[in-house]
Amino acid sequence: MSKTRKGQEDIFEIKWKTDLPYRYSIGKLAVKFFEELKENKKILGSKCPKCEKVHFPPRAVCADCFIKMTLDDMVELPPRGTLEGFTVVNYPFTDPSTGGIRPFPYGYALFKLDGADTYTMHFVNETDVTKMKIGQRVEAVFNDELIGDLTADIPYFRIIKEEE
Amino acid sequence: MTNKTAVVGIGQTKFRSKRRDVNIPEMIYEAVKMALDDAQLEPKDIDAIIIGNMDHFEGINFSELWTGIDAAPGYLKPVVKVATGGTTGSSLAICGYHNIASGIYDKVLVVGWEKLNEGGATTGIITAFDPVWERPSLAGALGPLALMAGMYSAKYGITSEQAAKVTVKNRSNAANNPYAHLQMPDITIDYVMSSQVISYPLRLHDCCPQSEGACALIYANEKEAKKITDTPAWFHAVETAHYYTFGTDDKMYDLPTATIASKKAYKRAGIKNPIKDLDVAEIYEPTSWSELSWTEALGFCKPGEGGKLLDEGITQMSGELPVNPSGGVLSTNPIGATALVRVAEAAIQIMDRGGKRQVPDVEKALAMGFGGSLWTEVMILGNEPLR
Amino acid sequence: MDKVAIVGCAQTKYEEDKIDLTYSELVFDVVKQLHNDLGISNDDVGCVITSSNDFNDGRTIANMAIQDAVGSVRKSESRVSGDGAFAFVYGAMRILSGSYDTVLVVSHCKCSEVNQYLVNNSIFDPYYQRHLGLDQISSAGLMANMYMNKYGITEEQAAKVAVKNRKYALSNPYAHLQKEISIDDVLNSKMMAHPLKELDLPPFSDGAVAMLLTNEEKAKKLTDTPVWLKGYGSCTDAYYLGHRNMTDLIALELAAKTAYKMAGVTNPLKEVDVFEVYDAFSFHELMIYESLGLCDKGEGGKFIDEHFDSQLPINKSGGVLSSNPTMANGLIRVAEIATQLMGKADKRQVDGAKLGLAHGMNGICSQGNCVLLFGGE
Repeated sequence: MSKTRKGQEDIFEIKWKTDLPYRYSIGKLAVKFFEELKENKKILGSKCPKCEKVHFPPRAVCADCFIKMTLDDMVELPPRGTLEGFTVVNYPFTDPSTGGIRPFPYGYALFKLDGADTYTMHFVNETDVTKMKIGQRVEAVFNDELIGDLTADIPYFRIIKEEE
Repeated sequence: MTNKTAVVGIGQTKFRSKRRDVNIPEMIYEAVKMALDDAQLEPKDIDAIIIGNMDHFEGINFSELWTGIDAAPGYLKPVVKVATGGTTGSSLAICGYHNIASGIYDKVLVVGWEKLNEGGATTGIITAFDPVWERPSLAGALGPLALMAGMYSAKYGITSEQAAKVTVKNRSNAANNPYAHLQMPDITIDYVMSSQVISYPLRLHDCCPQSEGACALIYANEKEAKKITDTPAWFHAVETAHYYTFGTDDKMYDLPTATIASKKAYKRAGIKNPIKDLDVAEIYEPTSWSELSWTEALGFCKPGEGGKLLDEGITQMSGELPVNPSGGVLSTNPIGATALVRVAEAAIQIMDRGGKRQVPDVEKALAMGFGGSLWTEVMILGNEPLR
Repeated sequence: MDKVAIVGCAQTKYEEDKIDLTYSELVFDVVKQLHNDLGISNDDVGCVITSSNDFNDGRTIANMAIQDAVGSVRKSESRVSGDGAFAFVYGAMRILSGSYDTVLVVSHCKCSEVNQYLVNNSIFDPYYQRHLGLDQISSAGLMANMYMNKYGITEEQAAKVAVKNRKYALSNPYAHLQKEISIDDVLNSKMMAHPLKELDLPPFSDGAVAMLLTNEEKAKKLTDTPVWLKGYGSCTDAYYLGHRNMTDLIALELAAKTAYKMAGVTNPLKEVDVFEVYDAFSFHELMIYESLGLCDKGEGGKFIDEHFDSQLPINKSGGVLSSNPTMANGLIRVAEIATQLMGKADKRQVDGAKLGLAHGMNGICSQGNCVLLFGGE
């Protein structure tokens, strides 16, 4: 309990800190995704056997057809895509992976991996918005050591410069 | 058999960034008491309580079992909680509608609230996203909203200046609303445009604040409504449209769910031309850019013409369809109450009780909620029951 | 009241740990099964009401994770943050308001993903009660003790509830715990919070339940055995345990009275053929007998003594004491009653059941209660 004075009023407050840890089931498709990422440096999506929509991140349900996708429906996607939207985050935000404040600014992009029908979000290695354009090509940058963790294994996507 | 349903009593707290002078039930009680007094009802007159917030913002599980009893008159009555993220307030409003329209209850109390500084909004927002695919690279709700703004701007050539004008309009409107959090009668476009870029293209003043407070509405059926007030605000339509689990699945330069929900609502309410047939709109704009985009999605203008609609003054207080006379979400954002405030303000306009923020001769008003993975709720209210 | 029908239900098997399934998969499987059973597609569903809890799921806006799985893309979905019986009520209201012809109601819960003690402790206010470390078990212990002392109920009488329900669970293919136990087993099981032993308490389970509600016209097209909502009552007790009557479930009693009145029931024991109640702990079911008017106040123990060897039609599913995916419990009770009234309950069927009662609950020690009466034909 703490008591402080603000203007004419006494303010009483209680601090409450409890950890509430969770263990989330990620499903068979995600298990396969992380295995392939770790073992073979591959990125997998899931393709609906009915409408053929390719979902990334991979998932078990095609919402449009209302049918289930299985491990057999997982397809490899190239680690490249096209930028569709971007921003540069310039405010402090808790990094859920560390619990600390993530260093900022950092680039943040919405892009489609080649062959995917859904968009995805990830970090990009650019913090100058004048150097980012919709339609630019992006490529996944993999960490040397792969552990089967999305942001550890692919810390960011790099923007491929036009001259490359 | 649809029973006519109306808003007959309204209460809201003065919204502020922090309400350290009161605890959670005390804060909510302020709005509840005001609504009861407004309708001249006693706690015993209320049949059921529909109350909600987002659990993780305050760290209280089953919050309705506390707040519904200690802040609202729910003791020995039905108390139910509805919580759907940003749309919590509109989902509560719609649940209240079905409580009356179904004929189950005659009078209900609908309450939305948030005291989010008590738990840290960051935690609340992080956990809204998928722990495997989204959380590791997440930057809260603003990241996706910034992406949306950027894509919208790139697609239609909307300018930062046009976005800034939305903030100027809404925060100067807020100066006419005694309950609004950010009241800036003298705000200028330069002031907005010179604020810090916090996530390109969003500047600080392109973004909604975080507010604490509560909003409470009393609904009644036709028989009871007429006993309570001469000016009930009648529900003509309540519609919701959801979208994919991942908000980023589809293109983000527009808001398809607002188009789907508003088309359905217009059909139910017999609205053919929203600009002409509606008199005022209270929409849920988390950023200045989103107001421009949402006005397109709601059919107030064609896709890409949200900037033009604003430039022509149509959404200004003096325009053909004033948008957010209350100051909107850019001025006041108490998460679980935000979308309920839209309904409250639409009802205030219908009841002709808006004081300095009143739009003249309001017969039909639109209220909107937005949240989750880009889903939308649209409600139409009118000064006569829909026949 | 206009008519609301349940035309079909689907349940998963309730298990300790469905670690192989995401929330989305868990929910999709049960919804798809319902579609298949009814021969409908997702296009036939008007809107969706879900029930879930953010603390349990570890997600703010927990319903966001299951949008694809409930088929609500481009449709209306809303989420009751609470027990599934309350989601049923909201779904029924959406039919009665004339807004929708069909409503899918879904509830899911995976107790395995988080420490349930912490989840339940978070229900208590952070000013006065939470620090005491109260949870659903310790508060139930308080309640059971007070009830026992006031009315002279014995631990053996309470144990009979657990024995009955666990035995019934053997006939329910969905039930989590499927092992018969004896009164001695209960009395000799580990003491948790006096007078509650381990076997006086439910397990924690994972699972989901879904059902389709329709108006009268649609019901006739979709099934020959619709189950109709006949009565409803809901009532909430005080928040602080110290403000409550801890020996009588007065809020449940009021909810039941309202529901009986709506359905025209005057003698529930005679008129209602089958009951599914939210037995959060063994003593609790005895208290529920009293509140539902099946016996007089304080006679819950005597009631179980008199009916212990009969086929008491209360919690033929095995109840919460056998399967406990917390948020889904109320909707499971509704699904079980509907299955009984459809005559589709197989080995657990109560012959000739025409009127049934389902009870849902929110919070600690029966704070929020919902009583629903259903009839066949």
